[in-house]
Amino acid sequence: MIREKPWFAVAYMFLVTVFFSSIVIGLTQLTRERVEANERLAFERAVLSVLPDIRIEEMTRPKIHNMFVETIEEPNESSRNAYVARRHGQAAAYVLPISGQGFWAPIKGVIGIETDRRTITGVAFYEQKETPGLGAEITKAPFRNQFEGKVIWPHGDPIEIKRPGETLGENEVHAVTGATQTSNRLEIIINKALERWRDQSAGEGGGDQ
Amino acid sequence: MNITSQMSHALVVFVSAIFTQNILLSYFLGLCPFIGVSREVKTSFGLGLAVIFVMTSTCLLNWVAYQVVLEPLGLHFFRFIMFIIIIAAFVQFVEMVIERYSPSLYQRLGIFLPLITVNCAILGASLFMVIRDYSFVATVGYGLGSGIGWFLAIMAMAGIRQRLTNERIPRGLQGPGITLIIAGLMALAFIGFTGVLQGN
Amino acid sequence: MRPIGAENRKLIAEGLWQSNPVFKQVLGICSTLAVTNLVLNTVVMCVALIFTLSLSAFTVAVLRTLTPRNIRMMVETLIIAFYVIIVDILLKAYWPEMSSSLGPYVGLIITNCIIMGRCEACANANPSGKALLDGLFNALGYSFVLLIVAGLRELFGMGTFLGLTVPYFSGPYWDKWIIMVMPPGAFFVLAIVVWVFRSIQTAKENKAK
Repeated sequence: MIREKPWFAVAYMFLVTVFFSSIVIGLTQLTRERVEANERLAFERAVLSVLPDIRIEEMTRPKIHNMFVETIEEPNESSRNAYVARRHGQAAAYVLPISGQGFWAPIKGVIGIETDRRTITGVAFYEQKETPGLGAEITKAPFRNQFEGKVIWPHGDPIEIKRPGETLGENEVHAVTGATQTSNRLEIIINKALERWRDQSAGEGGGDQ
Repeated sequence: MNITSQMSHALVVFVSAIFTQNILLSYFLGLCPFIGVSREVKTSFGLGLAVIFVMTSTCLLNWVAYQVVLEPLGLHFFRFIMFIIIIAAFVQFVEMVIERYSPSLYQRLGIFLPLITVNCAILGASLFMVIRDYSFVATVGYGLGSGIGWFLAIMAMAGIRQRLTNERIPRGLQGPGITLIIAGLMALAFIGFTGVLQGN
Repeated sequence: MRPIGAENRKLIAEGLWQSNPVFKQVLGICSTLAVTNLVLNTVVMCVALIFTLSLSAFTVAVLRTLTPRNIRMMVETLIIAFYVIIVDILLKAYWPEMSSSLGPYVGLIITNCIIMGRCEACANANPSGKALLDGLFNALGYSFVLLIVAGLRELFGMGTFLGLTVPYFSGPYWDKWIIMVMPPGAFFVLAIVVWVFRSIQTAKENKAK
């Protein structure tokens, strides 16, 4: 029987793999644009949501994209790798990307900083795969809102994430209850980015155009 | 990353894979054989060792496959298929070698080797290794640590279950029921390790 | 269409109750247990599993006469991986937030022991229609038990069901059981659900005797 010939197994495996793989590749190509658009939109939405005075929930997809294009400027030398949000030509805030390893997979987000270069306007995440109900709570308002008005500490850890229940200082927020691993990692991610930003800023005088 | 910082990173990964991020108790992977086989310490020992060996080896093989073949060609989504094939082929190969060189060991291992192929922890470990972008040294630490962590969990479970053999357990809880409760208690205990390590 | 024959009815009963994959066989729970802390995520995972299991069993059965025996497990794995990747691609393109929430678990459906188990036990030796039914009802049996687990976990742990707040459980008089949202909670709830169903099953068998 043809089934038992030794070469048949290899040929069959090869054919089956090629057949199914081509369907997968085809489907990937078909949806590629959409997937990239989704990712781009998630990023733009995150950047806009940390800016003060923007009501992101009420905005449609095209509106978000247009506002992003109008308001946000690519990072440059003087902003030290942060995006610059401009209003009427003036820099209104900086948006610093943050990323690093979470508990399950990389966490990517942005942190908004005022023009005084020390007060935080907010934090938002556009990519994370943490445990729903636990680590994933970092994307929800109660956790994120804590960051508004907090201050980047001039030396040592810029921000500290404390256990729930502890009294908080100007640069401290509470962790998500039950999500110690994610909270620990997030602290590391945020501080790595903020430390670099803070120490680069310190190298020059204040104020920028 | 120079070699010393790579090694210290690998060490942190190794220790956390055993305790704070135990692949079974924190990530729920490898439950089926864990619940099914953990009745006896002896069998669990054999299976656990086999898992350590297969997990470490396949993590390394998959790392090579990913870096050498999939990355350069941009075929990331193929990793599912490629990893599973490598795992299945490796286990098949190991089975053949053992059968040839040590028939007594082959007899003792019996059904375990094919069982390992479908152990989700093996595939899961490789997938995590890719997501976390581990270096070669870190992959060694991760594969070895995850295997040892799984081994520890199943040994502890077998030890506890063996002690319970003469206890009166309600009919509905016998077998998987009580095993799940013990697993829950172990998971609870392991959460206590969380504060031990920072930053990997 | 022929009416559902006795043989098929037996198949359905087996999958849903007699040999229920979760409480009787205790198979394949790894991939879903982690996401059972939210009912919505569990629903999506279960739909993915129903899709994958039914179609994989069907495909394996269709190809059973061609596939050489010694590579049949690799071919089965390939087919399962194919359907899982399709689910993954569709989620990424059309429901990105859910794709993020489910994270690595969609990929892990590939190693789900039930799918491989049913392919080996049934699909390899039965006509495609029968294999499809077998796969479908095993998956349904799997789903309903896990949905119960998820319902309990979300209700006690977060006071919501499908994301909607439930009156007493989210109010000030109920202290949310955070443990329900964490891994140990999953183990405990599943243990109790297994206990209950097995007891019911034994009672029914005793009555039938």
